[in-house]
Amino acid sequence: MGSSSGQSNSYDLSFKILLIGDSGVGKSSLLVSFISASTNDLAPTIGVDFKIKLLTVGGKKLKLTIWDTAGQERFRTLTSSYYRGAQGIILVYDVTRRETFTNLSDVWAKEVELHLTNKDCVKMLVGNKVDRESERAVSREEGMALAKELGSLFLECSAKTRENVEQCFEELALKIMEVPSLLEEGSNAVKRNILKPKEGHPAPPGGGCC
Amino acid sequence: MREWVTFFDSEGRVTDSEALRKRVFYGGVEHLIRKEVWAFLLGYYAYDSTYAEREYLRSVKKSEYETIKNQWESISPQQAKKFTKFRERKGLIDKDVVRTDRSLSFYDGDDNPNVCLLHDILLTYSFYNFDLGYCQGMSDLLSPILYVTGDESESFWCFVSLMERLGPNFNRDQNGMHTQLFAISKLVELLDSPLHNYFKQHDCLNYFFCFRWVLIQFKREFEYEKTMRLWEVLWTHYLSEHLHLYVCVAILKRQRNKIISERMDFDTLLRFINELSGHIDLDAVLRDAEALCICAGENGAACIPPGTPPSLPIDNGSLYPQEDDVL
Repeated sequence: MGSSSGQSNSYDLSFKILLIGDSGVGKSSLLVSFISASTNDLAPTIGVDFKIKLLTVGGKKLKLTIWDTAGQERFRTLTSSYYRGAQGIILVYDVTRRETFTNLSDVWAKEVELHLTNKDCVKMLVGNKVDRESERAVSREEGMALAKELGSLFLECSAKTRENVEQCFEELALKIMEVPSLLEEGSNAVKRNILKPKEGHPAPPGGGCC
Repeated sequence: MREWVTFFDSEGRVTDSEALRKRVFYGGVEHLIRKEVWAFLLGYYAYDSTYAEREYLRSVKKSEYETIKNQWESISPQQAKKFTKFRERKGLIDKDVVRTDRSLSFYDGDDNPNVCLLHDILLTYSFYNFDLGYCQGMSDLLSPILYVTGDESESFWCFVSLMERLGPNFNRDQNGMHTQLFAISKLVELLDSPLHNYFKQHDCLNYFFCFRWVLIQFKREFEYEKTMRLWEVLWTHYLSEHLHLYVCVAILKRQRNKIISERMDFDTLLRFINELSGHIDLDAVLRDAEALCICAGENGAACIPPGTPPSLPIDNGSLYPQEDDVL
């Protein structure tokens, strides 16, 4: 499996992935670790931030648009508007802070059910910060049990050491591609994108001459 | 500097506050005198106070600050174990201050004392206004204030004054934010009907894409120096208390053709607006906002309901009727 960050048009499928979970669990760090390998001192997310990642999974070139949302509860009315049209949702908790784990089942999982537009949307539970093993407050078994209950995939990772970080996104993408309705949404998104420039807008950015 | 002293009478009163505000609005402020100017603009200093009164105020407020700060400093580890809200708040603040403006030399490096000051001031504020507590975004608002005043107690009280006006942005029910976003939609309807119609057709009338702009006064959209310049212009309340809403309209208007011709949907628009960060021409946008504000006149003012932040709330009941955040 490889990944690259080349031109924006050279992909087969385009998916929207949402990162949710309590504030400070490392959503932004996980994303930046996936994209660029550095995770130092990321400003708290206000509203939402976006990152694009192009990668090849299962022989297909994918464009992932990853939505990194603000964790604090007060912003919940805002974040609820982000779920529309997502094919994948990553629910993140911090394995060293038990409350971030219980909040996933008490609060976040309910949010997901409430706001998802495609019920086939693939969920993945991710326990972050496993590099701090001595401070662990949530066992791997508990994580797996919750994942089973939510019908989601499960991984433990460390944004800091990058352990399992790529796997989070790749396994999620693979699973999404197994679901026909999501696959269709992903390929429609690409078609829409390619059609656009023909609607009266010359020279797509970066388009070369042949 | 020489010009600055001409605004005062012999005892230190600002004789013509409107002239001062106008001067700041059009000309900006030299960094050396920002500390004092901001204290006036934010309402921490009264314009008609004398040098002596302000000196007295500073000393009284300093001890008042220490008293409030001591409320949390005196919490023992044993007490903290039985004080979940305190631990949660402190945890949120701990996490946020170490990732606030760390690329600035004022806040960079390990064990930077200014980062500790951010922490102490925010935690003290969350005791001063326990109902509102701490919310993400507050560290963004405090950071330039501490940078400008360089003093813990002064920063705290300037921040308190700012939060008198912007506190509702952080309300649990988000009503302060919703009122402002609604006012922007009304202003766009008034000042740019094609754009309004486009947003309406594309289900974008919630204006959530302006959320970050409004919540922290464009702090993430401009570089630090420009943000300070913008803030002091907004805080003059010279043409309107709500110039920031016209700034939003001005930025959107400048992007209108691109938004419409590229047929942006809600998701695309949200991303597009986010990515404008660092690419907005502040001077041009301020000129536009001023013109829009003048042009909209009373019709514009009528789009903005009474009590819309940063106006002070209309009723004096419980300002922050809310449960604490548990997350």
